[in-house]
Amino acid sequence: MINIKNLHASVEEKQILKGLNLTINPGEVHAIMGPNGSGKSTLASVLAGKEAYEVEEGEVLFNGKDLLDLDPDERAGEGLFLAFQYPVEIPGVSMTNFMRTSLNAVRSYRGEEPLSAGAFLKLMKEKQKIVELDTTLTKRSVNEGFSGGEKKRNEIFQMAMLEPTFCILDETDSGLDIDALRIVSQAVNQLRSEDNSFLVITHYQRLLDYIVPDFVHVMHEGKIVKTGGKELALELEEKGYDWLKAGAASL
Amino acid sequence: MANLQKTRTPDQTRFIEALIPAQINEMAWGKDLRQEHTQALENLSFPTRKSEGWKYTQLRGLFKESYQWYSGEASLDLEPYLIPNWEGDIMVFLNGVYQAQWSDLSRNQDQLLVKAFSQLSEDELAEFNALKPLASADQSGIFGALNAAGATEGVWIKLKRGQQAAAPIHILHLSQANDQPLGQQHRNVIQLEASAEAQVVESFYALGEGKCFRNDATDIHVGPNAGLEWIKLQLQSKTSTAIDTTEVHLADDCRFGIYTLTFGGQLIRNNLHLSLDGQNIEAKLMGTYLLDGQQHVDNFTQVDHRKPNSYSNELYKGIMDETATGVFSGRIHVYQEAQKTNAYQSNRNILLTDRANIYTRPQLEIYADDVKCSHGATTGKLEEDAMFYLQARGIPADEARKMLIHAYVMEVVDHISLDSVREMVDALIQARY
Repeated sequence: MINIKNLHASVEEKQILKGLNLTINPGEVHAIMGPNGSGKSTLASVLAGKEAYEVEEGEVLFNGKDLLDLDPDERAGEGLFLAFQYPVEIPGVSMTNFMRTSLNAVRSYRGEEPLSAGAFLKLMKEKQKIVELDTTLTKRSVNEGFSGGEKKRNEIFQMAMLEPTFCILDETDSGLDIDALRIVSQAVNQLRSEDNSFLVITHYQRLLDYIVPDFVHVMHEGKIVKTGGKELALELEEKGYDWLKAGAASL
Repeated sequence: MANLQKTRTPDQTRFIEALIPAQINEMAWGKDLRQEHTQALENLSFPTRKSEGWKYTQLRGLFKESYQWYSGEASLDLEPYLIPNWEGDIMVFLNGVYQAQWSDLSRNQDQLLVKAFSQLSEDELAEFNALKPLASADQSGIFGALNAAGATEGVWIKLKRGQQAAAPIHILHLSQANDQPLGQQHRNVIQLEASAEAQVVESFYALGEGKCFRNDATDIHVGPNAGLEWIKLQLQSKTSTAIDTTEVHLADDCRFGIYTLTFGGQLIRNNLHLSLDGQNIEAKLMGTYLLDGQQHVDNFTQVDHRKPNSYSNELYKGIMDETATGVFSGRIHVYQEAQKTNAYQSNRNILLTDRANIYTRPQLEIYADDVKCSHGATTGKLEEDAMFYLQARGIPADEARKMLIHAYVMEVVDHISLDSVREMVDALIQARY
């Protein structure tokens, strides 16, 4: 699905990713944990194509294509989805208009016909239910005046609408209460399949009780320094990151 | 008096003379006062960059052109200049001359007075002239006075107590210049008595590539508890220069909204003055300017809160592309007596290139101590985070930019209550970006 080799990236001339390697196969869920500033969110932004980040070295193959060569909208068309850590408020653009433009742009990229208004609204209703998103929210401007939890659920709603094959959840669980966490996790689990992969970036092991990963990676200073199974997350929760930092320094 | 006149350059003198054509003396409206205005004009001089409020807008190029007033050829297709799905009356002026054959006042004529100055009956004329309709013109500066002295035509709208316009009124101004630069002046006199209501759209087009200049003035009096919505659509070609002076007097309990939407023109200066003379007034003054090329648009606004308990909301939003320049000055003056005033002012701008310019100058002068007022100005680029968010959802950059610009401008346009105008402006924005 995605194959990241020796990725180096910087923002505003500050190097953040320093030779990151990661391979994710179809159907797998990978979790990335790590202390603040280790480069987790940078990895998400680079994969989604944020302009401010400069890739200096390395390559990323997405289903065999050079991902770094594609514009952000093309990446979305190819099936990549980033659930933002801080979803942006866009006053004046209604959720419905945004979602329809987005869905039809992705469909057009994939060579599919645009959805009729009726089919679109039906799909909206269906997917809203999955994340228990209040129908009044879709009448508002994108994310405007949404609570933190509503914004995160809105991200997962968009994910459900666009049916991507590779999803990056960038700290989607941060700030969620247990009910919201359960809703978001259930929605993600519904979308899990043999063909879809997830990269879950999180600070808290708690999320991984709900979205059970196949692999857990620990990131430190722009690299993956340890990889294990889901039990590694529990170990991190218990011991913190210091023992790994010490280990990484001696490498 | 003589000294001031000497400060005028030969170009400026020629400019003034061209805008007060000889035919003016045959016009019956405003007759008694015209001489006075011409004299008053002598005491006024043209602003320079050192004059208050003219720092960023230069008029030198204006005086170099040899403008003349002449009539146009009334054989054009009107369709492109109409408001789609318009359900209202229309008055058409071509090069400042009223075109009865294209105008239709049937929805309002039995009820209220809506007429071109040239169409006034003798009784109406007597009433109009007795109003001394142009009496305050000199106070709105040299361009107001020039208009009073030389306007060749105008619109008089008068609603009596409690009258409601049966339909909105569209005043369509067409300018058609040939090789000779066209100079013209038009005036509106609008009176709403107590509890009257009306909606007026004024749209401006300059056809073709000929050079046009227009110096227009509008006097608006909104009576107690009356309501008026006024929309200006400036859609001239880029060989056009325009100066628009609008003086508004608002009485107790009235509602007033004025929207200045500028898409066209090479150099446009809008002078807008609202005087809130009563209490419990609700006033909106809003505008948007979408500029590219070398367009230069200057919105100069002043709001005077003279009495307690009124509300004003000013919002101007601009987008400057290429090397265009936007200028905004907004002054809110809250008089000592005007306690419990709510006055808001905001000017927001987006520069799409590094070579585009905006000069913005919000000003608050508050002499009352129990008021709620705010003002602010922002200038930036299209928000990168929002662009990325849309793109990350599969929307190509061009379309994402268009969505954001559209949303940005519609914040102003959505205040307009006339559906057909909102839809037309919506389409203009869609077509532009």
